[in-house]
Amino acid sequence: MPSATLIGQSVLSGVFIGALYGLLGLGLSLSWGMLRQVNLAHFALAFLGGYLTFQLAARLDPFVTLAITVPLFFLAGVGLHWFLSRFAPDMLNTLLVTFGLTTIIEAAIQWIWTADFQRMESAYGAMRWKVGAFYIPFPEAATLLLAMTLCGAMWALLRFTDFGRAARAMTEDPAMAAAFGVNEKRLGYVISGLAAAFAAVAGMCLALTHTLAPVQIYAWMGVVFAAVMIGGLGSAIGPLAAGILIGVSEALTMALTAPTWAPLVSFSLLIAIILFRPARF
Amino acid sequence: MKKKVFMLEVRNLRVSYGAAPAVVDASLDVEAGGLAVVVGPNGAGKTTLINAIAGLHPAEAGTLRIAGTPLSGMPAHRYCDHGIALVPEGRRLFTALSVRENLELGSYRSAARARRAESLEEVCSIFPVLKERLDAAAGVLSGGQQQMLAIGRALMARPKLLLLDEPSLGLAPAIVLELFRVIRAVNAAGVAVLLVEQNVAAALDIARRAYVLEEGRIVAAGEPRELAAQPHIQRAYLGLH
Amino acid sequence: MRAAGGFVLFGLALGAIPFLGLPAFYETFLYLLLHAVVLATSWNILSGYSGYFSFGHGAFFGTGVYVTAALVAQYNWSFLATLPLAAGAAAALGLLLGAVVFRVRALRGELFALLTLAITFVLATIMLNKVDGGPGIQVMTDIPKLAPTASGALYLLMLAIALITVWSAYAVFYSRFGTGLFAIHDDEDVAEVMGVPTYRFKLAAFCLSCALAGLAGGIHAVFVSYVTVAETFSIALAVNVVLMSALGGTRHWLGPAIGAIVITALLYGFTAGQAPVLGRALVGVILIAVIVLMPEGILGKVLKHWRRKSATRPSSGTEPELVRAPSPNSEPILVVRGVSKSFKGVHALTEASFEVHRGEILGLVGPNGSGKSTFINVVSGHYPADGGSLVFEGAELIGRPAHRIARAGIARTYQVPRPFAHLSVLDNVALPPMFGRVTMDRASAEAEAWRWLEFTGLAGKAHVRPAELNLHQRKFLELARALASRPKLLFLDEVLSGLTPTEMDEAIRLVRAIREQGATIVFVEHVMRAVMELTDRIIVLTYGKPIAAGLPRDVMRDPQVIDAYLGGVHA
Repeated sequence: MPSATLIGQSVLSGVFIGALYGLLGLGLSLSWGMLRQVNLAHFALAFLGGYLTFQLAARLDPFVTLAITVPLFFLAGVGLHWFLSRFAPDMLNTLLVTFGLTTIIEAAIQWIWTADFQRMESAYGAMRWKVGAFYIPFPEAATLLLAMTLCGAMWALLRFTDFGRAARAMTEDPAMAAAFGVNEKRLGYVISGLAAAFAAVAGMCLALTHTLAPVQIYAWMGVVFAAVMIGGLGSAIGPLAAGILIGVSEALTMALTAPTWAPLVSFSLLIAIILFRPARF
Repeated sequence: MKKKVFMLEVRNLRVSYGAAPAVVDASLDVEAGGLAVVVGPNGAGKTTLINAIAGLHPAEAGTLRIAGTPLSGMPAHRYCDHGIALVPEGRRLFTALSVRENLELGSYRSAARARRAESLEEVCSIFPVLKERLDAAAGVLSGGQQQMLAIGRALMARPKLLLLDEPSLGLAPAIVLELFRVIRAVNAAGVAVLLVEQNVAAALDIARRAYVLEEGRIVAAGEPRELAAQPHIQRAYLGLH
Repeated sequence: MRAAGGFVLFGLALGAIPFLGLPAFYETFLYLLLHAVVLATSWNILSGYSGYFSFGHGAFFGTGVYVTAALVAQYNWSFLATLPLAAGAAAALGLLLGAVVFRVRALRGELFALLTLAITFVLATIMLNKVDGGPGIQVMTDIPKLAPTASGALYLLMLAIALITVWSAYAVFYSRFGTGLFAIHDDEDVAEVMGVPTYRFKLAAFCLSCALAGLAGGIHAVFVSYVTVAETFSIALAVNVVLMSALGGTRHWLGPAIGAIVITALLYGFTAGQAPVLGRALVGVILIAVIVLMPEGILGKVLKHWRRKSATRPSSGTEPELVRAPSPNSEPILVVRGVSKSFKGVHALTEASFEVHRGEILGLVGPNGSGKSTFINVVSGHYPADGGSLVFEGAELIGRPAHRIARAGIARTYQVPRPFAHLSVLDNVALPPMFGRVTMDRASAEAEAWRWLEFTGLAGKAHVRPAELNLHQRKFLELARALASRPKLLFLDEVLSGLTPTEMDEAIRLVRAIREQGATIVFVEHVMRAVMELTDRIIVLTYGKPIAAGLPRDVMRDPQVIDAYLGGVHA
């Protein structure tokens, strides 16, 4: 039976990884919940963001690279939404087209940065604090903070502003929303742009905390989908909470049994949710 | 003779669903501050007509003018800028939003947004029951309350023309009475009203001008009292000759 | 049976290849080609035909791989003996999954896709921990001496499986089973109401698809000789089969095979240096291009130009027959007692009770929202009732699945026509006779369909897709489709709305003709003049309950009824 410290540290690392799941899930939740587009390419986009951060980190502070990647990715999101609404209106077709896009982005990443594992070296990597018996590494803590801030901000935006109300109304009944002046097209571009911008931030956090490899793109798909479906489509905070729940369960599973059993947690949860609450989707 | 100012002018409107024409060659007018009704049996095309006027459904041919401005080719979300507000059939509230949020969304357009607080006050005084339940989810209200919210949402847009599609559907007679009283009061305050109804008696009672729609065509138009006496209505609804 | 002959000849020709003495590279390439053909074609039997896109084909393939690998490596089985088990295990898994998932109405479309994807990951994890242990399994075994080389022998085995798979896809495509699957694809609920046993069919297609994938997996375990979870359960396989089928055309038995050949050739054309990366990028571009430009796939596009089939029209000009019954009497064919149905608190039907008499035309009228369409939906099994009883010819209908209600002899039309969009007009009308009260084989069903098309005047449009019909023709298609199953009781849901006066007269004539042949008709309508002309009796519904019943003239003069329609409220 592992010690209390080990369990505590596991829970902590579960929270940290869960925050990243939530941050990755934020963009997916928005585009799936509000625009009815299952964007598989979201993960490839996040990884692209991570690799770009890795590339630029040679000259710039990783956090500063966001000033470049975020606007760029926002525009990419707008473009993607334009393409999808024009050419792939069907949900299933969107799934297939975005998968094609994922393949292309993955190939591009491999072409430029090779299939080898790449680790971003930054001053932040070594920083960590000790609180009681526990270690809190800076990159992971920064990720948690960013996740909480962005998810919280998005939640507030959706809850308290006209934009948020319009988006939520549009999700439910676009025709009636339009009858009251809501421009569905424009809102769609903004939401898609935001989702991609969030992918950029998630990418930076990925680069900060993990080793990058193109093949890793697929490893995150399942668990983040689970977080989004459990947390609620269209929700900003839900995926974060669900992500942390999954992260902690995985970490405890790893600590108490073997690491190779960890994927079972998120996927079993996902299957359970799909089977017992299909109406949520 | 005073020249009449028309808030809404519809001329030779033709609206289809795919290959099937639902409204053919419809023409009607609503004066500024006027109250007109369109009655007709089910399947006559009343909802199609009103949805076309509200911009929810494109018209194939004909013209629509609001306060003199033609509305052809305008995207759906621009219609409300011209002072049109719709209370659709079946209410179509945003159930994911609260009562307050539904009302706030009603005043989404910029001209109405500036006067939101004032409008909210007014709507709450017209419908006190909404004031008590501002933070409730729109989906949990009763049928009558939902209808009131739908009207309140439309009023928040500070419209010049209010469109109502079968507001009495599915409601108990007492509530229908109250509803029509409110509609008359709103109209008295200066808002032009176009009402589409299956409940002929109530509709003809408050209208100043009436149209009968049958199988997509306007078959009669005039003063409500005259129309009620004519055989059109009997024939259209009951099939009796 | 000419097709069977063709397959055998083709198979023999291909089977000669290992004896030509080609370098091993070619035999391997051809093996991989066939492997792709099997996976794509087997996937398509469920997913392409019925529209249930699975992203979990890898799970069933992987099951086959691991069953063979484990039995050979850990228990020393002979390789060929493991194959039936590989197929069986995969089929069993599919059966288990399908039995649960296909029951749940809401699990279609992207949910089914995601669920099957999740299953793959779960299975992979279980295999990794329980069977594989981590490093993978070495599969060393004797390959049967079917050809001069080992790779040749494996090629022949995979060829056999490919022939079986493509033959299965072909057989299903032209069978009644296949027609049912395609109907499920277009509109599952309507298919069920027309008599297609949707649950059983989906399950059967799924099991077949899984068994074939498992079989291919068994052979593949020996081909790769070193099996790992990562390679076997990779997401690439799941998506490649979708891509191959989409490229070739999912609505045809040969489509996936064509797509498989094209994609495999492309991927193996790029083998040197950085080229594999380019190859993958190209695959992604192709996928996007196909979805955008050729949603029906290569074959779909090609076949569009070939659609004018030369039709064999039966020469008989006789009017089709329904059930012969004496003139209308008061014997009840349907007894409705206390039937209720609510939707989210709105009471659509409240304890409705009335009777339908044999041989009559009964008008069901009432203001908007009074429950008329809901009633039809409940009787036909589209919705389950909340309570009450519906006795049709002595048998209780409530609780029966819709396809069994259709078998009993009840048919209906839809207010807004719901034809099967991708089936021709003829196929639409030929479907109910294959699954309805009188189950016919395809040839007889088509003959029956022709008769009804002539009856409704649609014979000239038999090979056209429903989208090309106007509203009047679509309504008549609904009618022909409902009549083709020779129902005893027919529900017409606002069949006249939207028609011009001339078209309406024609429709009224048809309804009379139908009754003259003995069917009982319940006629929901708003066009009052038609109701007055046609009906023997009228029942008026308001707020989900009947308030009056009797002769048309009498009922419509009843003050209660006038009140309900015109409203007695004076504000």
